[in-house]
Amino acid sequence: MSDFCVKELMVPLSEYATVPEGSTLFDAVLALEKAQEEFDHTKYRHRAVLILDKSDQVIGKLSQLDVLNALEPKDRDLGEFNELRQYGFSSKFVRNVRKQRRLQETPLRDICSKAAKLKVEDFMQAPSEGEFIDQEASLEIAVLQLVMGHHFSLLVTHGKKIVGILRLTDVFAAVFHTMKECESNLS
Amino acid sequence: MKELEKQLDRIMQRINIDLRELDCDVSPFIKNLVPLNQMVKFYAFYGITPHHPLDFVFRHSSLAGSYFLGKIRTRNSILYKSDIRGDELKHRGDVFRYQNFEIPINRDEGIDIEDSFLVKTLVHNFSHDPETLEKFFIRDTVSSHYANIHGSPTDGCFLGPFATIDLTTMRDCVIGTFSYVQAGEISHLNVGSGTVWVRDPGEFNFLYRHPLSNLTPYINFGVGMPPQGLFIDFVEDRKADFQRVFDVVKLDTPVLVPHNASLDRYAVIKPKTRICENVLVAQRAYLQNAWLGIGANAQENCYIINSRLEGYNVTAHGAKIIEADLGKNIFVGFNSFLQGRSKSRLAIGDECIIMPHTIIDIRKPLTIPPGHLVWGLITDSADLNLNSMALKNFSKIDGGLVHGNMSFEGHGASFVSAFRDRIHHILEANGAFFNGTDNRGHAQKNQNISFNTIQPYTDGELKGLFPTIIIQP
Repeated sequence: MSDFCVKELMVPLSEYATVPEGSTLFDAVLALEKAQEEFDHTKYRHRAVLILDKSDQVIGKLSQLDVLNALEPKDRDLGEFNELRQYGFSSKFVRNVRKQRRLQETPLRDICSKAAKLKVEDFMQAPSEGEFIDQEASLEIAVLQLVMGHHFSLLVTHGKKIVGILRLTDVFAAVFHTMKECESNLS
Repeated sequence: MKELEKQLDRIMQRINIDLRELDCDVSPFIKNLVPLNQMVKFYAFYGITPHHPLDFVFRHSSLAGSYFLGKIRTRNSILYKSDIRGDELKHRGDVFRYQNFEIPINRDEGIDIEDSFLVKTLVHNFSHDPETLEKFFIRDTVSSHYANIHGSPTDGCFLGPFATIDLTTMRDCVIGTFSYVQAGEISHLNVGSGTVWVRDPGEFNFLYRHPLSNLTPYINFGVGMPPQGLFIDFVEDRKADFQRVFDVVKLDTPVLVPHNASLDRYAVIKPKTRICENVLVAQRAYLQNAWLGIGANAQENCYIINSRLEGYNVTAHGAKIIEADLGKNIFVGFNSFLQGRSKSRLAIGDECIIMPHTIIDIRKPLTIPPGHLVWGLITDSADLNLNSMALKNFSKIDGGLVHGNMSFEGHGASFVSAFRDRIHHILEANGAFFNGTDNRGHAQKNQNISFNTIQPYTDGELKGLFPTIIIQP
């Protein structure tokens, strides 16, 4: 497919947004903003923050969707909506109920203010088995893992250490580049 | 009593295996549900009429205080003060209509109870499952006090106190305390306490959940103790009246009963009660200063006290009506508890539908206008506004509606017409429309019923169990 390998495409851990465990969602958002400012502006923006433990090991990933999820009402409401599904109500009905409920609730500004104080550990996703890739792996393997696991990024390893993050957007750019090369060779 | 203890352990084990996917261990709830020494204290009895099959086979079962009518099998089961009423079972030659199918019934339908423990439970109606039309089975099932298994084959299920499963085939499910389910077919479902769920897929879906904190004073059920709360106190307070009707062999009919009405000899009738034409009063019903107008009925475990029902009223199994005035054609659903007070009576207008498992408990007079659908828990007019709707408005729903704790999706008109059709069918089956020659129903067919009693071993290994008994014409 191509000569690309993962380490050429990954963002090194040092350039990625990270926060220590125990940080708040607001800390994470600030870290993301800072990392973006320092990152190459010609490239796609970062879309996640990595959570590190005391020995700087990655223990989780906080995506933009995870942050938005933190704004959603929890516990009682969520249980109620799940129950509606259990009792055979359609997704459309449940969606409408959620919308109505949302319109009756606290304004977004207040929800954001509350959410900013929440801990990242409560919303991050712990990396799953298929989310790790060796830095020497080929682009083909990276594509396979992203597609199979529906991931937006993979954690790149060197031995037991995480050394970077391979983003879907960078893999896509490499694939796109390869496609263009193939087409121009044919013509 | 060793055999009986072994049997209970076996039933518990079987149901726990069935419910393992729900991560549900029902043993602590079942263990002290009824002390097993109670099983020797009460005889079982069965009815004989020319209108129903007489076909009983009881094997390795305890049947204390239970009643049987129709075609019934029990095996390896414990039934305590339960009513197994097979007077609506299908007959050989009947045709069952389901979707586009017309399915002939090849033999008389029977109720088949195996490896089950039923406590003060009503089993009635017939199997609505097209896959098992001749066998209304109840297997590996435990039901607690005043549960109703109505037209619902069940396998591997636990029903909490005052739970009702209605016209629904159920496998490996838990139905919580005071929950009502009518949903056609369900499996591997844990229905929380106080849920009222009526679903016809593609047509409508009605769901109401009683707030648990409000429900607790009425009924609550915890580990290692029998059910408690106002509902239990209410029936316990009147237990002595039933003791008398079960202990005395020959009882005089305490009220005038018209020739086309039926009063079961195992019902309690207190003074000032009036029974009009085509009325049906089932066993274990309790009437005190009650006026039952033409075609009204009081089913098993119903209590009607200081109340007047104008006529064609359905008081479904387990419903209680106290200090209330009901107009005509009113349906009061299963296990509903309607309590007015002597100085603050409850009035319900004609054609109202009180949903199953509704609680109305008022301290100021309350009037429900005619033609309303009522559900939930109502203590005053504000609750009534939140938990009721005019049937003509409900019929207009097309899509969805959330009203307080009630969620509805589908066609309101289908929901209302399904209920109306069913109410009409119940009245018809009960003989409310009998005109002297046509439309004969339970009120007429159950008049000349005679009862025989059967007894358990009172000592030894088999203490509490009944010997194998086969009763046929």
